[in-house]
Amino acid sequence: MNALLKLSGLIDGLSERVGRATIWLILVVVIISAGNAVSRFALNLSSNAMLEIQWYLFSAIFLFCAAYVLKKNEHIRIDVITGRFSARVQNWIDVFGILVFLLPMALLIGYLSWPVFMNAWTSGEMSSNPGGLIRWPVRLMVPIGFALLILQAVSELIKRIAFLTGAGPNVLSKENGPSAEQELAEAIKQHHIAPEVADIVSMNRGMVNGKEGDSK
Amino acid sequence: MTEFLIANMAPIIFGSLVLFLLLGFPVAFALAANGIVFGFIGIELGLFQPTFFQALPERIFGGIMNNDTLLAIPFFTFMGLILERSGMAEDLLETIGQLFGPIRGGLAYAVIFVGAMLAATTGVVAASVISMGLISLPIMLRYGYDRRLASGVIAASGTLAQIIPPSLVLIIIADQLGKSVGDMYKGAFVPGFVLTGLYLIYVMGMTIFYPKSAPALPPEARIFREPGGKTGGTSLLLLTAISSAAAIGWAMSQPADKPTDEMIVVSMCIGMAVAFTLAMLSRLLKLGLFSKMAERVTFVLIPPLALIFLVLGTIFLGIATPTEGGAMGAAGALIMAVSRKRLSWSLLRQAMDSTAKLTTFVVFILVGARVFSLTFYGVDGHKWVEHLLSDLPGGQLGFLIVVNALVFFLAFFLDFFELAFIVVPLLAPVADKLGIDLIWFGVLLAVNMQTSFMHPPFGFALFYLRSVAPSSPFKDHVTGKLTDPVTTGQIYWGAIPFVVIQVIMVGLIIAFPQLVGHDKQLTDAQMEQQGQAIDIRKMLQEDSAKDAAREAEKAGGGAAANDGDALTKALREANKPQ
Repeated sequence: MNALLKLSGLIDGLSERVGRATIWLILVVVIISAGNAVSRFALNLSSNAMLEIQWYLFSAIFLFCAAYVLKKNEHIRIDVITGRFSARVQNWIDVFGILVFLLPMALLIGYLSWPVFMNAWTSGEMSSNPGGLIRWPVRLMVPIGFALLILQAVSELIKRIAFLTGAGPNVLSKENGPSAEQELAEAIKQHHIAPEVADIVSMNRGMVNGKEGDSK
Repeated sequence: MTEFLIANMAPIIFGSLVLFLLLGFPVAFALAANGIVFGFIGIELGLFQPTFFQALPERIFGGIMNNDTLLAIPFFTFMGLILERSGMAEDLLETIGQLFGPIRGGLAYAVIFVGAMLAATTGVVAASVISMGLISLPIMLRYGYDRRLASGVIAASGTLAQIIPPSLVLIIIADQLGKSVGDMYKGAFVPGFVLTGLYLIYVMGMTIFYPKSAPALPPEARIFREPGGKTGGTSLLLLTAISSAAAIGWAMSQPADKPTDEMIVVSMCIGMAVAFTLAMLSRLLKLGLFSKMAERVTFVLIPPLALIFLVLGTIFLGIATPTEGGAMGAAGALIMAVSRKRLSWSLLRQAMDSTAKLTTFVVFILVGARVFSLTFYGVDGHKWVEHLLSDLPGGQLGFLIVVNALVFFLAFFLDFFELAFIVVPLLAPVADKLGIDLIWFGVLLAVNMQTSFMHPPFGFALFYLRSVAPSSPFKDHVTGKLTDPVTTGQIYWGAIPFVVIQVIMVGLIIAFPQLVGHDKQLTDAQMEQQGQAIDIRKMLQEDSAKDAAREAEKAGGGAAANDGDALTKALREANKPQ
């Protein structure tokens, strides 16, 4: 189990690093797209390459962040019912879900998307727009993204089993640091003058991340 | 057994989808797995070719990755997050609260007004509810507002972000309906403001019939004052009058054939520019032309309004696509945050992190939905849904009532992402066949889905409000009194009148389709005049003809025949009334 948990730690580190690097693409794509818009209005200038890079980056964001979001347990769940179950049952459901839902789906899509990339690579597929970009980099993102997702799924599986065998903590209940909402509340507390805000934020700290939050 | 399976594939898939989703495993993966499991069963049963899944990579590539519309999701999310954290919400609430405070129910009006303004800059409900809950709720409690009214008005104003453009749900619905986001925004504009108006009317009704539920701010609570003790309201009125005159003057001087929407957008921009320049001059040159109140209102209100007009205005005028508008809005928000000295590395990183996560989980639900729909459409699931829904008594109206009741009910359990990705694509073809304008239908569903945030006990807005409302007695630092906490029951009861208002709004949109304005709309009445009244029986006959065509196509094999969406699109095209 220890070796497995070590592996899981390594995978978590990888997903975290890839995710934290990928989020910067948000800023990049905002700047590129705003630049594209302004150059189109002001100079009546637009480049297909710059327009296509927008959706290349968009694809990179959601494909490379998929594992990161899985690690943070932020893919939306409907736990109106299962939210009331015990931690053990919830972990068992996740074991089942990872083995029966997540892994087969990620393996299938990853497996099917590889030949598509190889085809684009060997044929040198280009965008059909004049001045557009070469296609293989964006085709390659799909197998890479899903490979990362598969790795993270294995890591999550190890963590669930570790909890069920008593070898690890319950990751499902662990708070992964303050949520975005909580940080907003903290920020308002800092900037706002009314002293009650501070009292209420401290009073309710932890509630935002509480179980109720996942009830939808 | 096999026969039974083949004959009832669609209901079986749908039933197991519900089961899979209720397991509580992430929706994106449960959806995809459902498609894959039944895809394999379908191949085993001989319903699909063995090459069935070959269509998957292209479905992800073509519909999701290479999709400029979806790019608007991270842009508007990022814009909203940066603005919310730039302190804009706090300043707006404080200033507008002071402005309206002296009248009865003023704080509640301020919350609704700010809620609508925040909604027009962001599609994020959580942040609006949290800001308003933290800043306005304690003040409302201090001055004796009814707790149910106070919490209801905050939660409901936060959910306006769902319907007032640039809302995320409208982007997703537009994408799912195959319509332009710009049209969707145009269509949602009036309903969004009518709904805001209904909230205001409700609060006004409360101040008339239960004056104690929403008292005015006492004089000592009004902090923006002139040295002499005056409120400075006259000066504000004067400034408003000058800038309105400038705006109207410009509008009058233009040729009459200019498009109305362009006139409105440009003249409002001019009015705002005049007010801002005057206030700026007065401050920089220390002229003291205007009262504190007037200056404060100008400096707090104009920058976000200008941003809203730049982003939404350019989209409405068709100058910018929603994606471009979103990108410019995000860049504008960054500039605004820098100018307010609120942009730090940690804020930037956090906004990027939240945006990337939201984008990922939303897009992955779409990935799951497209894997699911490949199989579901492959077994004619859409046809099954169509037959279920088009056999309803009452034609269009019957369909609309059933669909809205269904969405209202599902909204108790699902949030709008799931509704938009799973339910909307199933309903859209039926609505289209019944001759319902899809933009109108999308806006109607968006208003309805808003209730999913307000339903006790699972509504998201209520949950976020709960997380920032005082949960135990606290000492009010101004009055020094110990204030009671807001109970969860009060939050739930407070939400109910607003849920009722939202349902009334759904009814209003059905009764007055012209509320949803966009360029090429055919209202029911016009359709009937043109003799295009819907004859379901005739349609079903056409349907079976198309079935035959489809079978022929399927026998021809090939990936195209397997791709449900392409097929549905082709069918829809074929079905368009001439």
